Amino acid sequence: MVRRLGELESTIMDRMWATNAPASVRDVLEHLQRERTIAYTTVMTVMDKLHTKGLLKREPVGRAYVYETVSSKEAYTAEVMRDSLSRSGNRAATLVHFLERLTPEEANALDAALQVYPPKGRRS
Amino acid sequence: MIVAAILASYCVFAALVLPRLLRRATWADRAPRLAIAMWQAASISVIISALLSAFAVAVPASVVGHELAELFEACAALLGDGATLSTTSTRVGLAAAGLLVARVLYTGGAVLLGARRERRRHAEALALLGRHDGELGAVVVDYEECMAYCLPGRNGKAVITTGALRSLAPEHVAAVLAHEQAHLRGRHHLVLAGTEALLRAFPGVPLFVRAQAEIARLVELLADDVAARRHPRVHIAAALVRLATGRVPAFALGAGGQTALTRVRRMLNPEAPLARRERLAGRVAVTLLLAGPAILAAVPGVSAFLAHHCHSLLSL
Repeated sequence: MVRRLGELESTIMDRMWATNAPASVRDVLEHLQRERTIAYTTVMTVMDKLHTKGLLKREPVGRAYVYETVSSKEAYTAEVMRDSLSRSGNRAATLVHFLERLTPEEANALDAALQVYPPKGRRS
Repeated sequence: MIVAAILASYCVFAALVLPRLLRRATWADRAPRLAIAMWQAASISVIISALLSAFAVAVPASVVGHELAELFEACAALLGDGATLSTTSTRVGLAAAGLLVARVLYTGGAVLLGARRERRRHAEALALLGRHDGELGAVVVDYEECMAYCLPGRNGKAVITTGALRSLAPEHVAAVLAHEQAHLRGRHHLVLAGTEALLRAFPGVPLFVRAQAEIARLVELLADDVAARRHPRVHIAAALVRLATGRVPAFALGAGGQTALTRVRRMLNPEAPLARRERLAGRVAVTLLLAGPAILAAVPGVSAFLAHHCHSLLSL
């Protein structure tokens, strides 16, 4: 069940990011119901959770909320990457590699080192 | 008391001078696994010697060695509120040992829990942003920057960005992911958590500072070596160059490109691994670092024990 909720979160976020327009729970539900049977309350719960998580913002319109994404998918991706990966304080959390700031000289040295070995050159 | 002094001076020596000696070890890049073990053993030996030194202050050797039965009595007295041992030095020694253990356990727990929390947050975000690619065996994230990394833990996964997939040839992608899998399978995050915890418990101690930096570098070399068992070294090197010379995200905090240079050179011109004798010497050194303080601490106790019994044998 937890896994299905996670999946649903991702499906709903994808929909919200794709349309990039305000939508009510009813709108999202109608879209989802084209592919599966799903209850209004389930969608409402998940969208409420996404709001709590700070991914969706909402405004009351009439008796329901109209939801909107807080930021674009690209912006959110950049934020997540920056947040989780720049934290050098706790390297045990995520092991980030190949992420080294190279000076132009170092970059040239690397390229030069590789030039000696054309891709189809010597074996390991 | 002499033992306590020797152990304490070893502790200081190891904390201050060992990092300089170990750093000079030129064989480290040829045997990263052994080098990691050496740094870990050195770090642990500092903690053990400090701990045993405190115990040596707390429990006089004559009490320990006199009779085994008396040792138990002494322990019972220590556990209870026996008057025989509740001298000032006992209290100070035990308090120091207790503080030391508590500090290490506390920071260790804090580091592990903090890392787990961060990983969970990141995993949640990945669930929204990434999609699992069964063929690659990795999570793919839509992101223009070239990045490959791994999210360790129980459901550890390798992550690669679409930017990296675009700029790398398929065989290079495979090599990079093999490197990440090596991190995951080797549980390198726990190795890093250990050094991180010690550094946080005792900030500024030269050995722990160096150990953290060196081990972070060495696990990369180790993962390269593991990946090189299945993939041509030249592919690993090429992937490294592509990823390191590509557009670097502005927020990436790297330790400088020195490690990348070392890694590329190592992959292209592999040096002979250590000979069996050198490996053996290394393992002996690791064992000595780990067991040395304990043996030293046991000497007066054992000798007092022997002296007592030899005495009784002689007097028979």
